[in-house]
Amino acid sequence: MPQVELADLAQAVIDGRTEEARRLARAWGEAGGDPLQAIEQGFARGIRRVGELWEEGEYFLPELIQGAEAMKAALEALQPQLRAASAEQPSKGCVVIGTVQGDLHDIGKSLVGTMLTAYGFEVHDLGSDVPVEAFVEEARRRRAGIIAASALLTTTMVAQRDLVRAVNAAGLAWSPKVLIGGAATTTEWAAEIGAIHAENALRAVAVAEAALA
Amino acid sequence: MSDFLHRLRHGPCLLLDGGLGSELIARGLVPGTPPDLWTLERPEALVAVHRAYVEAGSDAIHANTFGSNAARLAQFGLLDRIEEINRTAVRLARESGARFVLADIGPTGDYLPPVGQGDPEAWRRHFVQQGRILASTAIDAFHIETMTDAREALLALDALQEVAPAIPVLVSMAFERKKRGFFTIMGDPLGSTLARLRAAGPAAVGANCGIASPDMRALAQEALSAMNETSGSATDVRLVFQPNAGQPRITGDGVRYAQTPEEFAEDMASLLTAPGVAALGGCCGTDPRFIAALRARVR
Repeated sequence: MPQVELADLAQAVIDGRTEEARRLARAWGEAGGDPLQAIEQGFARGIRRVGELWEEGEYFLPELIQGAEAMKAALEALQPQLRAASAEQPSKGCVVIGTVQGDLHDIGKSLVGTMLTAYGFEVHDLGSDVPVEAFVEEARRRRAGIIAASALLTTTMVAQRDLVRAVNAAGLAWSPKVLIGGAATTTEWAAEIGAIHAENALRAVAVAEAALA
Repeated sequence: MSDFLHRLRHGPCLLLDGGLGSELIARGLVPGTPPDLWTLERPEALVAVHRAYVEAGSDAIHANTFGSNAARLAQFGLLDRIEEINRTAVRLARESGARFVLADIGPTGDYLPPVGQGDPEAWRRHFVQQGRILASTAIDAFHIETMTDAREALLALDALQEVAPAIPVLVSMAFERKKRGFFTIMGDPLGSTLARLRAAGPAAVGANCGIASPDMRALAQEALSAMNETSGSATDVRLVFQPNAGQPRITGDGVRYAQTPEEFAEDMASLLTAPGVAALGGCCGTDPRFIAALRARVR
């Protein structure tokens, strides 16, 4: 039984203590703890709390970034255990992810990518300010089952609709799904444009798993 | 004391202009294209927008220099034309016949760590560079706008005061309304941030963008109360407010803002005569109709 408490894992993320999160994750893994439990009941719980504090107007951008950095460090430190746990299982699927053209926001998008990787997906992150054509080309090249596009601004959200149209027009034989996210996006917007939606990184894992099931 | 500074200090309240980017988009600027490009390629469109605001009642307009700093221009391959872009933008603003022209100073677009990779030393150089170019043009003031980090705002103010000590500087931050009050996205609270800015000696401080007129009116009330509570040398500093025209929404025709000019004017009218308020205008989504509606409320 690992000495490290799950509450400690969550708190390291909430406090944005990157090196502490990394250390705790490593200790958890080395003590033989279940990496998925560490994520779901520990670190991810922390990042959810960070999100709540952001919604409540208690946390601002710096705290959000610190929390995301701590989360990322924890997931990186758990990689050996996660790889071992999924070694017997095939990749859950291939995902191409990026922030749409004209938009440089990437905290949430990077977190989604990191979480999907942690949960056994093959993720290709194109970064931010990604044109529609680049999404489609990478998806074609990688045979991606999911194309994930993030947009934070109302003004850049329209690119998500352009992406869905381009994917349909490209006629990719395996019919990839477009998964959208970002603060301005909603399930209604996703339905309107013919995409699926996830409101945060943890939900993205569940939505991606369901989409490729 | 310059005419502009005298007007700021003694009133009546100045009417600024409204949104520029959205007006250029309405005239064909492709979203994602830097508006600075039109200073070079579509000068007549800039003059047309500036003139429309002057005709609507703007006493002071902003030259199209919001993104014309080295950090932003470099992203679009326009760095080598930085001098021409800034100078031409002021000339175009002057061609509108506006009583006063403000040089618009926007953020560098990056964030300080841990949020971004911003380097304060480099930022200061950018503001010094842009400030130096603009200081030798026919501007009446600088307006540092849409700042979300008090540190960047203070840095810009310091840089402009260094290169152009005789030119008045206005500083506006972009606040959001949270449960606990008004904060920038970086977490700078309204009251203490305006106080910090006032202490650095600008001609005016205030808020632009981010929120619409109902929230801006509430913000203004808080700012006015905070001003009344403090005394001393900062009392010469005036207030400026420029809200958005409601929240943006995506429609079949692109992004639209919900508010009507009359609603905007109704919310802002009481601020026209509030002691300490020196200038009012509009930001994203506002157009000449909004300024005209506010103009109609001036006694």
